[in-house]
This record gives sequence, C-alpha cells and structure tokens, in this order.
Amino acid sequence: MVPLSWYLIFSAALFSIGLFGVLSRRNAVAILLGIELMLNSVNVNLAAFWRYGDVMDIAGQVFAIIVFAVAAAEVSVGLALVISVYRRRNTVIADDLNMLKW
Amino acid sequence: MIHEETAKLLTWLIPLPPVLAFALILLFTNRNKWLSHTLAIGAALLSWLTSMLVTVFFAFRIEHFGDHPIEDSINWLPLGDSWFRVGVLIDPLSALVLFFVAWTVLAIFVYSVGYHNYGQPEGDHDHKGLPPHGATVEEHGHKHVVPSVEPMYARFFAFIGLFAFGMFTLVVSDNLLTLFVGWEIMGLCSYLLIGFWYAKPSARDAAVKAFMTTRVGDVFMLLGIAYLYSVTSTLSFRTIFTESVLHTLATVPSGFLGFSAAGLIGLLLFIGTVGKSAQFPLHVWLPDAMEGPTPVSAMIHAATMVSAGVYAVIRMFPLISLDEKTMTIVAFIGAFTAIFAATIAVAQNDIKRVLAYSTISQLGFMIAALGIHAYIAAVFHLITHAFFKALLFLGSGSVIHGMEHGVLHTGNHNVDPQDMFNMGGLKNKMPITFWTFLIGGFALSGFPLVTAGFWSKDEIFADAFGNGHWTVFITLAVAAFLTAFYTMRQITLTFLGEPRTKEAEHAQETPWTMTLPLVILSIFAIGYGWVGIPEHFPVLGGLVPNWLHEFVGGTLVEHPEVVEFSWTPLLTSFVVALGGLALGYFMYRDVNLPAEDKLQIGFLKNKYYFDEIYDTIFVKPAFWFAEKFVYQFLDKGVIDGILHLFGPATNEIGAGIRNYFDLPIINRFIGDGSADATYWFGGKLRAIQTGRIQQYLMLTLIIFIAIGIVLYFFKLA
Amino acid sequence: MDFISTHLLSLILFIPLFAGVIMLLLPADENKLYRWFALGASLIPLILSLMAWFQFESNKPGFQLEETYAWYSAIGSSLHLGVDGLSLTMVLLTTLLIPLAILASFNITEKVKAYMMLFLFLETGMLGVFLSLDLLVFFVFWEVGLVPMYFLINQWGSANRNYASLKFLIYTMGGSLGLLLAIQLLGVLFKTYDLQTIIANWSTYSDPIAGIPANTVKTIAFWAFVIAFAIKVPVWPFHTWLPDAHTEAPTAGSMILAGVLLKLGAYGFLRLVLPLYPVEARIFAGALAFLATAAIVFGAFASYAQTDFKRLVAYSSVNHMGFVMLGIAAAGLASGTNDATIALNGAVLQMFNHGLSAAGMFFLVGVIYDRTHTRNLEEYGGLFPLVPVYGGILIFTSMASLGLPGLNGFISEFLVVRGSWPILTAYTAISMLGLLFTGAYILKGIKKVLHGSLNQHWAHGEHKLTEINTREILVMAPLMALILWIGIYPAWILDVINKAVGMLF
Repeated sequence: MVPLSWYLIFSAALFSIGLFGVLSRRNAVAILLGIELMLNSVNVNLAAFWRYGDVMDIAGQVFAIIVFAVAAAEVSVGLALVISVYRRRNTVIADDLNMLKW
Repeated sequence: MIHEETAKLLTWLIPLPPVLAFALILLFTNRNKWLSHTLAIGAALLSWLTSMLVTVFFAFRIEHFGDHPIEDSINWLPLGDSWFRVGVLIDPLSALVLFFVAWTVLAIFVYSVGYHNYGQPEGDHDHKGLPPHGATVEEHGHKHVVPSVEPMYARFFAFIGLFAFGMFTLVVSDNLLTLFVGWEIMGLCSYLLIGFWYAKPSARDAAVKAFMTTRVGDVFMLLGIAYLYSVTSTLSFRTIFTESVLHTLATVPSGFLGFSAAGLIGLLLFIGTVGKSAQFPLHVWLPDAMEGPTPVSAMIHAATMVSAGVYAVIRMFPLISLDEKTMTIVAFIGAFTAIFAATIAVAQNDIKRVLAYSTISQLGFMIAALGIHAYIAAVFHLITHAFFKALLFLGSGSVIHGMEHGVLHTGNHNVDPQDMFNMGGLKNKMPITFWTFLIGGFALSGFPLVTAGFWSKDEIFADAFGNGHWTVFITLAVAAFLTAFYTMRQITLTFLGEPRTKEAEHAQETPWTMTLPLVILSIFAIGYGWVGIPEHFPVLGGLVPNWLHEFVGGTLVEHPEVVEFSWTPLLTSFVVALGGLALGYFMYRDVNLPAEDKLQIGFLKNKYYFDEIYDTIFVKPAFWFAEKFVYQFLDKGVIDGILHLFGPATNEIGAGIRNYFDLPIINRFIGDGSADATYWFGGKLRAIQTGRIQQYLMLTLIIFIAIGIVLYFFKLA
Repeated sequence: MDFISTHLLSLILFIPLFAGVIMLLLPADENKLYRWFALGASLIPLILSLMAWFQFESNKPGFQLEETYAWYSAIGSSLHLGVDGLSLTMVLLTTLLIPLAILASFNITEKVKAYMMLFLFLETGMLGVFLSLDLLVFFVFWEVGLVPMYFLINQWGSANRNYASLKFLIYTMGGSLGLLLAIQLLGVLFKTYDLQTIIANWSTYSDPIAGIPANTVKTIAFWAFVIAFAIKVPVWPFHTWLPDAHTEAPTAGSMILAGVLLKLGAYGFLRLVLPLYPVEARIFAGALAFLATAAIVFGAFASYAQTDFKRLVAYSSVNHMGFVMLGIAAAGLASGTNDATIALNGAVLQMFNHGLSAAGMFFLVGVIYDRTHTRNLEEYGGLFPLVPVYGGILIFTSMASLGLPGLNGFISEFLVVRGSWPILTAYTAISMLGLLFTGAYILKGIKKVLHGSLNQHWAHGEHKLTEINTREILVMAPLMALILWIGIYPAWILDVINKAVGMLF
C-alpha cells in the first residue's frame, strides 16, 4: 500500500486548489465549483483515514456519505441562488454582488 | 433691758419692714400718696424701734459686749460637702452703726414727706420724671404759684425703703457675702434715686456714672471676697477674725507684688470702699449725684451708702491691718482725698456741691484714720459725721425749698435756687433751718467742745500725732482748716448778710416735717461727742467715762490702746477749727458776686478736670474699643470675615469642581469622548464591509490562520 | 398613674411631638384653637417634669427614671433615657420656657399652625438632648432641634432672616460633623452607643486605633466634640452666628434660642466632654479658659457698642455663657477639688439663671418692638412715664441680667468667680472687666429706652405706646418670681445641682 501521507498531501493539495478557486474566481458558479472541490478533498481525506485506520469502524465511510449528501444539497441551493441572482442582476460575477456594502 | 433671744429675733427682723414697704408700695399703693408714705415711714419706724431695742435696750447695756455679741445663722448655699451659712451679727461696731443708721433713716423718711410737698396741689405741667414746677392756685381772686407735689411721690418712698433695707442688711450681716448683697442693693437704689428725675438728661447720666464708678470698685471687691473665701473657706466675720485664720492669711503669699494674702484681700476690699465712699480716684460720681432729690443726697452721702464703705473697711480692719503695705495705701488715699476734696469745695457755688465734696473729704479723714490704725477714732468720726452731714444735707434741702418758694413767687426760673450767690440773709427768713445748719456746720468744722465733730476729729489728730504719723497729721490738719473755712463760707453766703436776690427775700421756712428732723439731728450733732471724751483730756476728761472707747474697742480681739494725751493735737484742733471759721467769715462777709470771690480758680471749680480726664482716658476709649474694635473689627470684620470666606470658598470649590473636572473630564472626555471614539472607530471599521463575499472569506481565512499561529506559539492548542 | 410614673421621661419627651402631629389634623384657619392647643400641650410636659422633680432623689448617685427601648440594636444604639440632677434642671428649664414662649407668641398672626407645630417639635428635640443616655440618640436629637429653629427664623423673622437662619443652620451643622464622626468612632469601637458604658471604658482605653496611637485619636476626638459644642454655647470666636440669629428670630424664637439652645452646648460639655476626656480637658483647659474670658470681655464690650436693642441682649448672652465656660474650664483643670465643685455649681446654676433672665429680656425687647416696630435704641427715649409697669419689669429683669445680689444672677456669678479664682486666677481677674461692662450695657439699655426726655413721637396719636398687657405680664411673672426666689433662697435648686455635680466629678 502507498503511505497514508500521499493521500493526505493529495487531499490537502486538492483542498488548497479548491480554496484558491473560491477566493479568486470571478464567476459565482466557479466559486461553487471550488467549494465542491474542497468538499471532495475532504472526502478523500476521510476515506484515506478510514482505510488506513480501523477498517471495521465505518465512521469514516458514513461521514463521507453524509458529506456527499450535504455537498449535493448545498450546491443545488447555491446554483438556485445564482440563477435567482442572475435573473435580477443579470450578472454572475461575485464582485458585483456587493449590496451588503456599508 | 430685753432678753438675748428676743434681741436675736429682732435683729433678723430689722431689715424686713422697709423691703416689705417697697414691695407693697410698688405693687399696690402706688397711686395713693398717703398710704405710701405711711407704709414707708411706718416701716422706718418699725426698723428704728427694733434697732433701738437691740442697741439701747440690749447691746449698750452689756458689759464686754464684744466678747459675746448677738449672732445667729442659717444654711443658705449648698456647696460641696458643706453649706455656706449666712446670718446676723450685732457686735459693738454694728450696734453703734445700727444706732445712727436707724435715726438718720427715720429722719430722712419723715423729711421726705415735706420735701416732696405732700399736701400741695398737683403741678400745672408736671411730668413724671421731671422735678415738680409749681401749681397755680387762686386765693381770694389772686393767683400765685405754690410748690406742687412730686408726681412720682409713692415711687420715691418705695425706693428709699429698698435703700434702707440694703443698709440694714449690710449692717446686721455676719458675713461678707450678705454685706456685699446689701452693698449692691444700695448701689442699685442710688442709681434709681440719683436718676429719680430720669427725664432730666443730667440726672440720667449722673445715675449711670454713679453706678459704673462704684461698680469698678465692686468688681475688685468681689474678687477680694472670692479670694478670701478660697483661702479661708468662710466669709463669716467671727470665723475669719480668729487667731488661726488671721495667721494663715497673714503668712500665705498672694503672689502679687509681695503682698500677703491678707494684704491683697484687704487691698481688693478697700478698692470697693474707694468706689462706694467716693475716695480718690473713684470720687467723680458723688458730686454729680447731687442731681437726685436732697433726701437722697442725705441718705446716700451721709447716713448710709458712703458710710457703708467706711463701715466695710472698719469691719475688715483686723484683716487689712495685717499687712502694712495695704495700710499705707489706705492711709495715703484717705489723707490725700481729704485734702484734695477740701480744695475743690472752697470753689463751689452750689450749696449741695460744697457738701458733696465735704463728704468726700470727711470720708478721707475716716479712711486715713483707719490707715494709721486709729480704729476707735475712725468709728467715732463715722458716727458723728453721719449725724451732722445728714443734718447739713437736709438743711440744705430746706434752704433750697425755701429758695424755690421764692422762685415760684417771682416766677423767674432762670434763678438757680441752689446757687449760694443767689441767697443771703436767710437767717431771718428761715431761723430753724439756720440754727440747725449752723450747729451742723460747726460740728463739721470741729468747733471745740460743744460739737460732736470736734471730739471725733480731735481723736483722729491725737492718734495721728501720738503715733508719729506726721504726714497724715499735717495733711489732715490742713484739710480740717479748709473744712472750717469753706463751711463758714457756705454759712456766710447762704444765711448771713442781706438777701442778694428777690427770690431770697421771699424765702420761707419749711414745714415741720422738714424742720423736726433737723432739730433731732442737731441734738445728736451736739451731744454725741460727749460719749467719747478721752480720759486724759484736761478738765473734762474723766468726768464722763469714755464709754465709746470701751464699747467699740470690744469689737476687736485686742482692745486698742488709749493714746497718750498731748497738747499739740488739741491745740491744732482748736486753731484750725476756729481759725478756719473766722477766716471764712471775714473773707465772705462782704462778698456778693462770684467775681468778688477770690477763690473761683478754674481748676478748683472744675474739680481739677478729673471728669474730663476720665472721659478721655476711660470712657471714650472704652466706647471706641467696644464699637470699633470688638464689634466692627473683631466680630464683623475678622470673625465674620473668616466665616464669610467659607460661603464663597465653597462656591468657588464647587464651581471649580464643575468647571475643571466635571465638565471637561467626566462630561466631555469620558462621556462625549467615548461616543466620539466609538463613532470614529466605527467609521474606520466599516471599510471592511465591502459586501463582497470573497473578501469576507479571505479575511476569515487570514484571521483563522493568525489565531492558529498565536495558539500554537502559546502552546495553547 | 402607674404608666405615667414608669414612663415619665418618654412622656415628657414625646408628648410635644405627638401634639405637633395632632395639630396637622386640626381644621384650617383656627388660630385661636392652635394657640390654646399648643399652650395646653406644652403645659403637660411642664407638669410631668415637676412630677419628675419631686420624685427625684438627689442623694442617689447615677441616673434615675431610666427607660430603655430598642432602636437600632444592630449597631448597639437604643433609646435610653434617664436624668440626673444636671439634666433634670435643664429639662425643667425647657419645659418651663416653652409654654411661656408659646404664650408670648399669641400675637403671631401668620401661619400660626405651622409656627406652633414647629415649637412643639423643637421642644422634643431639645428635651431629647437632655434626656438621652445614648450617644447616637443624643446626636439625632441634637440635629433635630436645628431644623424647626431654622424655619422659625426663616419664616417669621425680621429683615435679615435668610442670612441669619442659614448662617445658624450651616454653622451649627458644620460643627457637628466632627461630633458625628467621633461618635461613630466610639460606637464602632465599643459596639454600643450607650453613654455610661462608653464613659466607663473610653477614659482608660489605650490601644492604638487603626494604627494611630490612642492619645492622638483621643485628642482629635476631644477637639471634634469641643468644636461642636463650642459653636453652640457659643464660645468665642465661634459666636458670630448668635447675634444674627437672635436678632432676626421672632421674639419667642429668641427666648428659646437664648434660653435653652445655648444650654445644649454647655450641657454637652458637662455630660460628654468632661467625663469622656478628663485628661485632654485638663491639658486644654487653659485654652478653654482663655476663650471663655474672651467671651466674657468681648461679649460685654460688643454688647455695649450696640444700637439695636435686641442685638445688645444677644451679645449679653455671649457674655453670660462665658461665665458658664469659665466654670467648666476651671472644673476641667482641677477636677475633683472643692473649688471645681463650686465652679461647676456656679456654671450649672448660671445655665438655669441665664435661661430665665435672657428669655425675659428678649421677651421684653419683643414687647417694645411689637409696639414701636423698631429696635433702634436711638429711636426710643424717655418712655418710662408712658409705660411704667413695663419699665419696672425691664429694670427688674435687667438687674437680674446684671447680676445684682438678691437676684439669681449674682449667686451663679459669685460661685463661678469663687470657684475659678484659685484655679484660674488671671483669667478670673480679667473677666471682671467683662463684669464691669455688663453694668455698662445694661444701664445703656435702660437709659436709652426709659430715661431721658420723652420722645414725643411715641406719646400721641397712632404711635402712642400702650402699656404692657396682662398676657405679657403673665409671661414675665413666672420668670420674675423664679429670679427673685433663686436670688433669695437658691437652696432648692442648688442642692440638686450640688449633689449631682459632686457625684459626677
């Protein structure tokens, strides 16, 4: 088996890419993509720890399934919000959505 | 002779009738003249009667009365563990004094009825508080003015009743405290009576002057009494004048200028007498006291008050004589006053003023006698003087009354009925007054052998000479000469020659209520001297025993010695008396105007300007001190000034706290400041709120990492 | 009857208070009712205090007729009442003067109800000081007495009343600050405010307090007590409130101010200062004597300088209370000796006597003021023929004030002089100067009012002076009778005082 650290590094890298995407992409949908990526990296992390820890303890798998569900729910809500915003503002660029400015 | 127990009881009762009369008159019989004077004279009569019973029918008849006098006392003030007792004491001294006081008081009371014109109509425009001015009556269609009755008639009798009470209390008391009580009550009465005609500004001021001057003496006397009491724990005469107590007093130092306790106490008590008996330098009140009605002058200045002063010193003689320094002061003041006052008397024109200064002078004689340890002589002269001086004063009142009759007759009120230069020739108009006045005047001058004054004065001379007190002897001799001189001057100007004014021409003899007392007193003025004829006197001595010497001498523990007879003092007495009288007669026989009187010297007439001097040194500075210094400066200026700093100071502090602390710091800095800070801070902080979610997320991430680093480095995570 | 005799003191103390409260409920605009009700209500404490006087056994040491009620037991303060010879004399004086003052106020026509109520409250305040044997209660009543007097002066006084009343109140209250602090110190230290306990323990107390040595604390506390009482007596130089307050107060207010309130201060000295601080009293007695002599002398001089009749009498109070202080100072210096006892006898008797004569004098000033509406001596003149009875009464009362033998003032002054002479010779001698000028100002008063030529202004027409009336004579009569009685035969009161003083010191 490959050492655990490879999976963790891989997960961390994926997380960072996702985070970078969230923080720097203009498009709101791209931000949501970044969030998805972060969530998936978390899943990888969880699976790796499950596999390299106690295999009989299925907590890690369960957690990963929940994350899937949450991610799905969340991205659907997020996309719905983006569509709603686009219909009002005719834009999906995050920077333009600054109505909560002082 | 009466029983001793009776005598004791009577002694307690002696002062009571007059004070009861005082109370009753003031409260009840004020409006009724007859009732008032009857009450008063009845009271005086009662006191006279009890006094006679105690003295003539008891005290005078007891052998060695001095060894067992009448004494009785009760508890009065509770102090500490014991009581202060007060009571009565009649020993030879007080018996003699009581005798003359009773007679003179009675005489004056009776005299006052006539003096205040009882029975006369009320005046035309008489006001209470002013002397009466006469009433117009119509007789047979003819109007003339007659003397009017005194508007405040009843009040007068009330006051002299109180006065008599004071004197009797003083004489019968067995201790210094009740003596002082009587003393001060008389002081009050002299104030009330000198200021009897209170609406007259001069009378009002004279009353205040009398009171204040004697009060100076009184405060010293009070100190003396307090001091004596503190050293001996008693004020009772019988206890003080015992061997052991006197010894204590003589040896304890007082700490003041080397006087022993006895000396200082004696000095302090003597100062009281200086005030009360108008000795130099507290003599200034007595001449002004002539403002009072004449019976008052007689009472105060002859019979009672001034005699009280001398009595007090005589009474305290065993104490005072313990310290020679004090005795020297006493003798000096007495002798000096005697001659000082005599020199002033020669220049006075008011008939009463001559007598006033004469009183001061004669009192000086008595005091000087005491100062040279001539105890008996002093007592003798005190008694004789009371009689003849009362006589002279009442006589002068009679003269003035007669003159006022003349003034009312002519209607000329510019003529002063008391000025001797307005009189003259009254011998024929007022014979009884004349003869009695003559007797009194001769007694005062010491006319040899047939007047009481001679015997008492001679005794003083004999004592002074016999004991080698040259200065005193010579001073008193000169004073005696002047006495005779001014007395004859007075008699000549008043009675002899021809009437100088119309008023004098119309003068009339006074009613019997006034002349009877004169006659009675003149009997004493002649005869009283014969109870004290010295044994070694040529021819007459030994015919009648020297009862006085025996009797009075018994008051002291050791009988005073009889002085060796010597011709010098006797001849001196003769010479000064007769010489003075003669000179007075010859000098004034033909004088009719003040301008012709060679002795109207400025500073004599003006009493050496003492009144003015005292005014400048004492009265005005006292008032300045009171008003400007104590009240304006100290109280209102300094003390209130300091207090008035507190209010504004508190105000200033309050304002300071508000303006320099409350407003800037609390209000502005803290209160407003925190609001402003929050506002500014908020303003700066809102820049973060861009509304852009990515920046929010970025910020979150950064802070998250920062906290992680902090936690990691502080090993908290 | 039993209730009365067991609760005598609290009845004396609180009946005026209750009467005052009841007055609140009386119908409006019934001036006659208010006056007579107040008079009647004030006579009850007088009768009760006479009962107390006759029940009192002067030979027994300590306090009699004691009553104790719980009040503030958490801090150790209770309503503890009791009398000894000293306080009984003062109670008698108070209960005597208040009815007379009320009777004297029958001619007040404005706000009569409030006036009478204030007098009754004032009576309770003053009696409380004399009766209480608990320090905190003492202080409470001390301060309580100030408030009614402030209003009396402020509302019914003369032209300058605002200044005078404020000065009086603030000055006295300011002085009591130290007193309050010192009392608190004692209360905290001994966990009780009971007077007898504190007296027994404080004089021997020598532990440091909060790190400060006991002697220093005692000295400071001593001065705190002294200042408070000195302002009240008043001791020179703390006296300047008195002329203003007395002059501006209404007649009856001045009677009570001079008659009783001043005695509160002297009582404080006798009851508290001397027993609590015997050592400090001895050390500082010289200073007190100096101030007392200053009061005697300067009071007399200032009185002599006055042209306002009432102010003249006011300063005479300074002068007379100086004698009280002189006696107290002498007693402080030589405590326990026979001389000190005599001096204290004189001082206490002087307190009583001065209460009588000062009340009388102020009333007489009020009588003439009611008729002439001026107090300026220069505006009177020769009034004797118009008002002979008044004149006679004025002379009598003035002579009492002057200390004429035969009247009460002499006895007390003589005793003070006699007692102080061996102890404080120089001061006694100097105070004679004050005695001399006492004569001066008294005579000045008489001279300006009664003597001299008649001022025609008062003789005719609308300004014509009326003689003193029956009500006014009734006010003066008890005072004059007592003055004469004490002057002739003082043993009845002096015996009580003598024994009390002997037992206290």
